[in-house]
Amino acid sequence: MTDRVSWPPRGMLFGVAAALLLAAAPLFLAPYATTTLTRMLVFGLLAASLALLVGVTGLPSLGHAAYFGVGAYAAGWFAKNISAGAPLSLLVAAAAGGLVAAATGWVAVRARGVFFLVLTLAIGEIVHQAADRWDSVTGGSNGLYGIPATMFGGEPISNVGLLYWYVLLAFGIGLAVLWLVARSPYGTALRGIHDNEPRMRALGYPTSLYKYAVFVIAGTIAGLAGGLLATQQRLVTPEDLGFTTAALALLAVIIGGAGSLWGACLGAALVILVRDTLGPTLDGHGPLVLGLLFILVVYLMPCGIAGIRLRRGQRPAAGDSGGTGKPAPEPVSVGGGASR
Amino acid sequence: MSGIVISRRHILGMLGAGGAAAALSACGSSIGNDSSSGGGGETKSIKVGLVIPQAGVYAPLGVDMKQGWDLWLERHDGKFGDFTVTTVAADEGETPQTGVPATQRLLQSENCDVLVGIVNSATALGLRDLVTEAKKVLVVANAGAEDITAKGASPYIWRSSFANGQVSGAMGTYLAEENADDSVYVIASDYAAGDEALAGFTTAFEKGGGKIAGMAKPPFGKTQDYQPFLSKIKSSGAKATFCFFAGSEAVSFVKQYRQFGLADDIPLYGSGFLTEGGVLDAQGDAALDVQTSLHYTSALDTPANQEFAQAYQDKFDAVPTVYAVQTWDAANVLDRALKASGSADGDDLSKALGGLGEIDDSPRGPWSFENQTPKQKFYMRKVEKEGDGYVNTVVAETEPVGQGG
Amino acid sequence: MSAWFDANLVSILNGAAIGCLLFILAIGLSLVFGMMDVLNLAHGAIFLGGAYVGWKVGGAAPTWASFLLALGVAVLLGLVAGGVLSAMTEPLRNRSHLDQALLTLGIALVVAELLSMAFGNDVRGVNAPPGLDGSVSVFGNAYPTYRLMLIGVGAVLAAGMWLLVSRTMIGAVIRGTVADREMISAIGIDNRKVKLAVFAAGSALAAVAGVLGGPIYGARPGLDATVLILALVVVVIGGLGSVRGALVGALIIGQIESLGRALFADAASFVLFGALAIVLVLRPQGLFAGATR
Repeated sequence: MTDRVSWPPRGMLFGVAAALLLAAAPLFLAPYATTTLTRMLVFGLLAASLALLVGVTGLPSLGHAAYFGVGAYAAGWFAKNISAGAPLSLLVAAAAGGLVAAATGWVAVRARGVFFLVLTLAIGEIVHQAADRWDSVTGGSNGLYGIPATMFGGEPISNVGLLYWYVLLAFGIGLAVLWLVARSPYGTALRGIHDNEPRMRALGYPTSLYKYAVFVIAGTIAGLAGGLLATQQRLVTPEDLGFTTAALALLAVIIGGAGSLWGACLGAALVILVRDTLGPTLDGHGPLVLGLLFILVVYLMPCGIAGIRLRRGQRPAAGDSGGTGKPAPEPVSVGGGASR
Repeated sequence: MSGIVISRRHILGMLGAGGAAAALSACGSSIGNDSSSGGGGETKSIKVGLVIPQAGVYAPLGVDMKQGWDLWLERHDGKFGDFTVTTVAADEGETPQTGVPATQRLLQSENCDVLVGIVNSATALGLRDLVTEAKKVLVVANAGAEDITAKGASPYIWRSSFANGQVSGAMGTYLAEENADDSVYVIASDYAAGDEALAGFTTAFEKGGGKIAGMAKPPFGKTQDYQPFLSKIKSSGAKATFCFFAGSEAVSFVKQYRQFGLADDIPLYGSGFLTEGGVLDAQGDAALDVQTSLHYTSALDTPANQEFAQAYQDKFDAVPTVYAVQTWDAANVLDRALKASGSADGDDLSKALGGLGEIDDSPRGPWSFENQTPKQKFYMRKVEKEGDGYVNTVVAETEPVGQGG
Repeated sequence: MSAWFDANLVSILNGAAIGCLLFILAIGLSLVFGMMDVLNLAHGAIFLGGAYVGWKVGGAAPTWASFLLALGVAVLLGLVAGGVLSAMTEPLRNRSHLDQALLTLGIALVVAELLSMAFGNDVRGVNAPPGLDGSVSVFGNAYPTYRLMLIGVGAVLAAGMWLLVSRTMIGAVIRGTVADREMISAIGIDNRKVKLAVFAAGSALAAVAGVLGGPIYGARPGLDATVLILALVVVVIGGLGSVRGALVGALIIGQIESLGRALFADAASFVLFGALAIVLVLRPQGLFAGATR
């Protein structure tokens, strides 16, 4: 029951190196590479917030893109109609994501196993429909376009390198929040719920409340990621909160190894590379390659990128909550008999 | 299991290739002056990014568009004026999620001078800031949202296709002239294009003295069964139906309109996409006698179209569609503009496009840019059987009309 | 009341026809999940495969011979596809639902792409076989004959499934497996064989539903995702692993998609998932959880 979720023990060094490399990236990368890297950061933060739900708490949500999209619309609308000043739209985005997660989460966390999957799918679809129909705010199926560039000190951030740094800073803050939550005693309790919810409840933990709270936290950070999407892409469409986005975010989490925040970010980078950079050059076979990626990841990387590293390094502690690797009896399975 | 191993090697190969490509284009810096000076100059070559859907539900349109583009270039020695054309195609996919990054790559990584294509309206609208800030010309060869050349106009975005309300408005005016006393039921997919089409039709039809009997908007992309809506049309007492559907929804709607017995009593009218291209074959006999308005039909009896249609048939063994013509014309206007400007620079090209005047040799008939979008004739077309296939024959045609009306 | 009934009669009838088609589609998904604990998101792709078989083998205007041949080919291909899926999910026996869902989602993406390579991206329209491709008058309204036949086929199949599950030895094994998989394997019945059989039969039914659905839905890219979502909603509303649940769920969704849209035209796009959310809030395990009848 160690801090598997956080940076690996020796990973602090890695973390610092990675942060330096990321910070310096625009200095030696061409604009398109920088733009791609910016997309990776945005999607990486979404994936990391989902990892907190899936890997740490054992809540595999198929509707997480809803909060991402709500944040994106909120930020876009705010920047367009009220103020494009630097951090404001991001704060609005995070608040909107958190609020909608709070409004829908109490329904979702009551369901278990596959019902949680389907109920979150339904929530995602309903929010998707709302985005599609609420023309006056969201622009309907044409999307919310013409979002102004973020202003910093009276100047618009239009240079891709400067925009990247702005996104990187927000990404860093969001990831730090997730990391602190996962490292805290509360995070330990969440892992306990993942492994054996009835026992945690017997020990006196208010497990439903805990799950609800983490759902809202993840929704808030997903909202922040959505705000970054609106900032970077300056266009939000209903697709951004559709099923495809949600499924790709899950794929990123699984690639990374459920439970690993940095793994999820790497997974997200791979997904964006395949979807945005490789996909359009394949004469329309982008979906095929994505499908193969799904299949390969499930077969070949049962513990994700984080798992590969662990296997090379130290053995995971007994009772480790890898979640996907061990054939341990799953408390996350469907029946829920024990808890009723 | 061996299949999987092969697939794995395959995908790794692909990833390797992608990685190498990324590495090649990854050097340089993103800080400081981002003006890039690709193409143009003394070499007299121009690089065109063709953004068309190659995967997903719009893929059949992408095929037609590519063929229209290729055919024009083939018949003009691959040149716009003195400029040798290099085309880089990218997959627009179904949504802006794929379309925007694909275009971004063409602009920032491939350094294209001009962009052509775009089927999805949201993608076209979402690209406005990107192409405006890059000062590169984009010729939209399909997307029909009004805002692309109205509220959301950019000096660099031109359109060689149509506006949604323009197409349906032509039908509204025509129907009002033909039989203004009859009330018409209007129905369209519930999304932006459907809304615009209905608004265009209703405004024109009511202006001509017509009455609307009722309106319905089935959910877009989520309706396979139109029976609930067909019942409403029947009970409304309307004398005709006007509809806007495209793709698989056009097929389902037209077939069910006949299956539920409406086709015999309440004639069906629509925007031309209802019976254009591949969907017409899938509709089969159910589409007979359906009347639609569009700025092109393969049955058009003009020398320009007959020559075009014959060449298209010879090369691709297919009947040309409006989507092919729109991309053909995109190449046509770029050719004329480059001859006038002699420069691939976005500002020069934009200025030249504005001064083109009438395009007199298009398969669709004469048209010109008005507010950066075509002012063109519309044809009232009726589906008839011809041999084994089906064709949209011309019943009537309008004077050239612009987007505004 | 009777005026209301008259006005909506065709919608109700139509809901029943769609419901029957959904039942044939969803029963396999339900049993595979209920018995084998595998959430098979490739189910829609098999339906689409069946639809293309109907178009290719049966032809756009099929004769009875070609229509029946298409059904036969669909059954065979469905059985094979089910076998392959069973084998591919076998290594994931002890992994989470999420892993299975992602694997089958990947398979669905790949199959859909292969289908579009093989059959193109155009929309393919299919007619009903001769004699069924017209309309009959139902209380003064024209109604497609084919859809009436679909209601009959659905009713026969539902009765057959119910008898199979409740009255036969095979049914006993099926019910036992849903209730307690370990117990069934303890009395000497190989779990893997049961899984293979259920997977193959369920997939064959999905492919058959694809052929039967051809004259209504046609065959086109993207149809797989549409029907998968409908089948998932049916299965979840009805409760997993239950024949009765799948039937009731399918008939409810049929009415929601037909009558519901006629009555609430303005909110048509919210009706389906709204209904699903309400059911899950009130009964988080579905209407007929665990009852295998």
